[in-house]
Amino acid sequence: MLSEGAVKEINDLTGKYANKRSAVMPALFVVQREYGYVTEEGMREVANILGLRPVQIFEVATFYTMYNKKPVGKYHIQVCTNISCSLLGANHIVDFLSMRLGVKVKETTPDKMFTLSTVECLGSCGTAPMMQINDRYYEDLTKEKIEEILKGLK
Amino acid sequence: MATVKINGKEITVEDGTLILDAATSAGFEIPTMCFHARLSKLASCRVCLVEIVGQKKLQPSCVTPVMHGMEVLTESPVVKSARSAMIDLLLANHPLDCPVCDKGGECELQDITFKFGPRKSPFGEEKRRFHEEDYILSPVIIQNANRCIQCKRCVRICAETVGAEVLGSIDRGAGTGETSFVKEYLDCDHCGNCIEVCPVGSLMSRSFRYKSRPWDLKGVDTVCTYCGTGCQLTVQARNGEVLRVISKPDKGINHETLCARGRYGYSFINSHERLVTPMIRKGGTLEPATWDEALKAIKEGITGAIRNGGKIGGIASSRLSNEELYLFQRLMRVVLKTNHIDSGSRWNTGAVKTFTEVMELSRGGVSIYDALNTDTLLVIGSSISDENPVTDYMIRRLSQNKKMNIIIASPRGMKLDSSAALTLRHRPAAEGEIISGISRVLYDKNADKLNDLSGKEPLKSISKENISSLTGTDWGRIESAANFMSSSNSVTIAVGNDVLRGPSRLEFLNVLVGALRLLGKEVKLFPVFDRANQRGAWEMGVHPAMMPGYSATAGNGLGCEGILEASSRGEMDVLYVIGEDIVSDFPDGRFAEEALHRVKFLIVQDMFLTETAKMAGVVLPGASFVEKDGTFTNQEGRVQRLRRFLPPQGDAKADWEIIAAVGAAVDPSFNYGSAAGIFGEIKEAAPMYREIAFESLDGSGALIKETNRKGTDLKSVPSVASQMPAASPDPDYPFVLITGNHLYHSGRLSLRTDILRDILSEAIVEISEEDAKDLKVGKGDKVVVKGERYEATLTVHVNKRSAKGVVFIPENFTDVRVNMFFTKGEGLPRVRVLPLTGKSHGGGIK
Amino acid sequence: MNRNHYNFDLNGLLKKVFFVDLIQGLFITFHYTFSKTITMKYPDEETWIPYKRFRGLHTLNKNKEGKELCVGCELCQKSCPTQCITVVPMQDTTGKGIADRVAYRWEINLLRCMFCGLCEDACPTEALKLGREYELAGTSMQRHLLTKEELLAPQAVPAEFEGGVIVKARLGTDETGIKVVPDMSVQKRWW
Repeated sequence: MLSEGAVKEINDLTGKYANKRSAVMPALFVVQREYGYVTEEGMREVANILGLRPVQIFEVATFYTMYNKKPVGKYHIQVCTNISCSLLGANHIVDFLSMRLGVKVKETTPDKMFTLSTVECLGSCGTAPMMQINDRYYEDLTKEKIEEILKGLK
Repeated sequence: MATVKINGKEITVEDGTLILDAATSAGFEIPTMCFHARLSKLASCRVCLVEIVGQKKLQPSCVTPVMHGMEVLTESPVVKSARSAMIDLLLANHPLDCPVCDKGGECELQDITFKFGPRKSPFGEEKRRFHEEDYILSPVIIQNANRCIQCKRCVRICAETVGAEVLGSIDRGAGTGETSFVKEYLDCDHCGNCIEVCPVGSLMSRSFRYKSRPWDLKGVDTVCTYCGTGCQLTVQARNGEVLRVISKPDKGINHETLCARGRYGYSFINSHERLVTPMIRKGGTLEPATWDEALKAIKEGITGAIRNGGKIGGIASSRLSNEELYLFQRLMRVVLKTNHIDSGSRWNTGAVKTFTEVMELSRGGVSIYDALNTDTLLVIGSSISDENPVTDYMIRRLSQNKKMNIIIASPRGMKLDSSAALTLRHRPAAEGEIISGISRVLYDKNADKLNDLSGKEPLKSISKENISSLTGTDWGRIESAANFMSSSNSVTIAVGNDVLRGPSRLEFLNVLVGALRLLGKEVKLFPVFDRANQRGAWEMGVHPAMMPGYSATAGNGLGCEGILEASSRGEMDVLYVIGEDIVSDFPDGRFAEEALHRVKFLIVQDMFLTETAKMAGVVLPGASFVEKDGTFTNQEGRVQRLRRFLPPQGDAKADWEIIAAVGAAVDPSFNYGSAAGIFGEIKEAAPMYREIAFESLDGSGALIKETNRKGTDLKSVPSVASQMPAASPDPDYPFVLITGNHLYHSGRLSLRTDILRDILSEAIVEISEEDAKDLKVGKGDKVVVKGERYEATLTVHVNKRSAKGVVFIPENFTDVRVNMFFTKGEGLPRVRVLPLTGKSHGGGIK
Repeated sequence: MNRNHYNFDLNGLLKKVFFVDLIQGLFITFHYTFSKTITMKYPDEETWIPYKRFRGLHTLNKNKEGKELCVGCELCQKSCPTQCITVVPMQDTTGKGIADRVAYRWEINLLRCMFCGLCEDACPTEALKLGREYELAGTSMQRHLLTKEELLAPQAVPAEFEGGVIVKARLGTDETGIKVVPDMSVQKRWW
């Protein structure tokens, strides 16, 4: 169940749009924040609040990659592997992180601390290679820098 | 008008015609995949690309309209190679498991690949695979998403036509697949229209799974015998076993759509419970007999009754063909010289007469497409989404792209409410009062123009408060319904047969129609029936007061209720019942059963040994709809052909043959040889059928034509005694019980089909959300519904949009005999609902 | 030439006196009497195993894991010019076939079959092969209506056997007809 605050927040969001269903995306962010990922229950609740059918929420949630459909660790590491970052060695960054965390891409560490995933362009090509951990950008990455970042996160 | 050149051929078409349609009419074939004529346009598959001279890029012909002077090439080398490449892209992720796939042989992708596709593919990559095994999506649908080509036809038909909105396209890009919410078991209409429109084998029918290839099936185009919509369907069988029902895009008013009943309600045809020989009661039990013995027994019974001057009556089902109903009427009136005949056993005979007059049925047929080409549509007296699902689909589809105000007046909430501009939730059996309220508002606003309105006197006696309290509807809503009508140029009023169940003051409909016509509106009246040939039954004169073609009888006979009353007094000597289960349908089951026990000689003709048949002296085995020829007249007044396709099971015979044999047994001059011959006689008797040619009735049938433009006015319309339950609820019995057909069932026949039983086999009780909250019950909980004389334990369904204080129990189920709640002559019964925690189920007499 | 002249043929006379033609003829007889025989002692002792390309009685095959290859697609039935094949598919979740679709009925009327092999060509899973059994005479019509179970049973000549040889055989007769049982271990070329 969504908390009362979350329900109120979604209800407030609907007021911002001419059409109630336009609030689907921000509402899903609320769900993701509440549950840690977009749960089946959460989608049903959003559907209920917005007066839509659950499948219509499901369509939106699966279309966008920023909604996690599975539980993620405390820190969700998203490494950009688009063209600029790739040219500057993003693949090595991914390999290094994978080795360092002991998980493959799309996996979570057993202690539920880190989830490693690769994403398309995050719009920070000027400072490639880069990654996003939760809501923060980490740019101009090197192995040493990553080591430091990871230490800071523990 | 625009003149375009397609492949050098010049044609002139309407402005805005799509290139695809223009090319088709010019005789060129453009392959399509995601395009569907009656769905919104998507243009995602790009198979229909054409070259427009002067434009660099190819254009999808399914969304590009023609322009004057345009030159289109559909067969240029560029188009051909692009088309083949697009098909190759569709195939890139399509598993080539055609030998296993059920769609093989009728797959659109197979067809266009064979005709236009590449012969070789450069794609060698591994194909996308969502799952290894097909998964079950609903009782009728099984899905293999790997085969999906993302045309979204299923998603579109589910949302736009059916209105269920349970399918969606998940994920994106090449990984898109159409499925339900988290691939869960669907809670939808189970109509199977998504299966019908799926061009590949992604959505498949469970009942037809691995049964046969389409080329091994032999089929016949016939008409659905469930509700009054009159959908065309194609029954297909292999080696005499009916395997599936499909609908064709170019046939009938339904255009490829069917409901769950039409599509899956066929397996009763091959049921092992079918009656296959006549039966005669010998020493208390029914014993199989030969036709000769049965007819001899009938002859003795009937001639004996005639000799003694006894009463003879007949009740025929409104699911028989016109020919059978006509012959039945003829047998009764001419051979047995009685007017005691009726069709169906559920309705008040007087209300029926008024209904036929106020609905102007004698004015001939109104096409549903004409009726829906209107500014305002009032649907009253029908749970149209449940009782006539395909009519509901048509209203939803046609109202989508234009401004049509739909007003729905009904005690129960329904799916169509979401398309409605206004819903009037009223108390059961208050349809007449709602109509009188609307008329009153119209009269008040336009009193000067409505001076000539006949029937304005009773209107004046209506007070706003009175109507509001009688109907339980907010006066403001009635006012806005009237406002919608007065601001429209055309109004269509669709009246369902619920107005006949708890008779309501139907004569006010005449006042409303008269008022609207005086105000210069174009008014169309559209009856909505829950039985396939209800209109035909009345038109064939199976009614105590109406001869064929609605002409009046010489003397009034008894209707069903009258016949049963006479029976209970022991006055009925012979009663001939065809296809009607009176014991289960007559609103007072106990009375019907007792009355039928006192009939001296009961003849029942049916496909199954129904409750009524079990009481008969002679039982005659009738044929199913694919085993006989004939015609049906649907609610619009459209005559459609029923075609014989299989021989009747066992010794069963087509019902008209049996009626003819019974007639010939009594009077040898009663001699009929074919359905076509009987139809010839119908044309003489009912003038509105004169222009209809039996043999040449094709896909869409033919509308009957009006014969006498005799407007009806209130003076000639008999008023109906309202049997509305009292407005102030009895604290002991706070709910009003209404009944009708469930979405998955129609009458009792559909209960004999295993697929529909899989969807729903036990009776449910539907209550409003508010009441559910008060009772603290939810969907799936058990409750006891208690009437004064009967109680039953049922599973709760919650209808979010229903009116408070209304309980709906479908009339279709054998485990709960809903007609036992009713008491003859008292209208709709009152009940109370008690939550229950146990699991017991079924009805019982208190 | 003098027509009364009689040319005495001593050579011919001697040939007649000493039965030279007869002896020459008998020599051939004796030669074949004692040389190696080339006729086949069919069906009592030997039988001919045809080449792989031979089109005899149909077989329904299984794959290496023993799963039925036939998926009941009905293409053989569709391709059959004499309409002697009947296939009815069904769903099977027990895993006896390579897919969840298997043949519920697969029947052939050999009296109508003309062994054209189009069904074999149409088969997408190579389940259907025309085998090398050709002794199809029988005493009852019923023997010619073969069902799936009978066709799934392995034939005497395995598919991978090269053929084109004569093998030792034994003639077996029973009430249904004649069966020649080959013994593939003893074989010879016929030429």
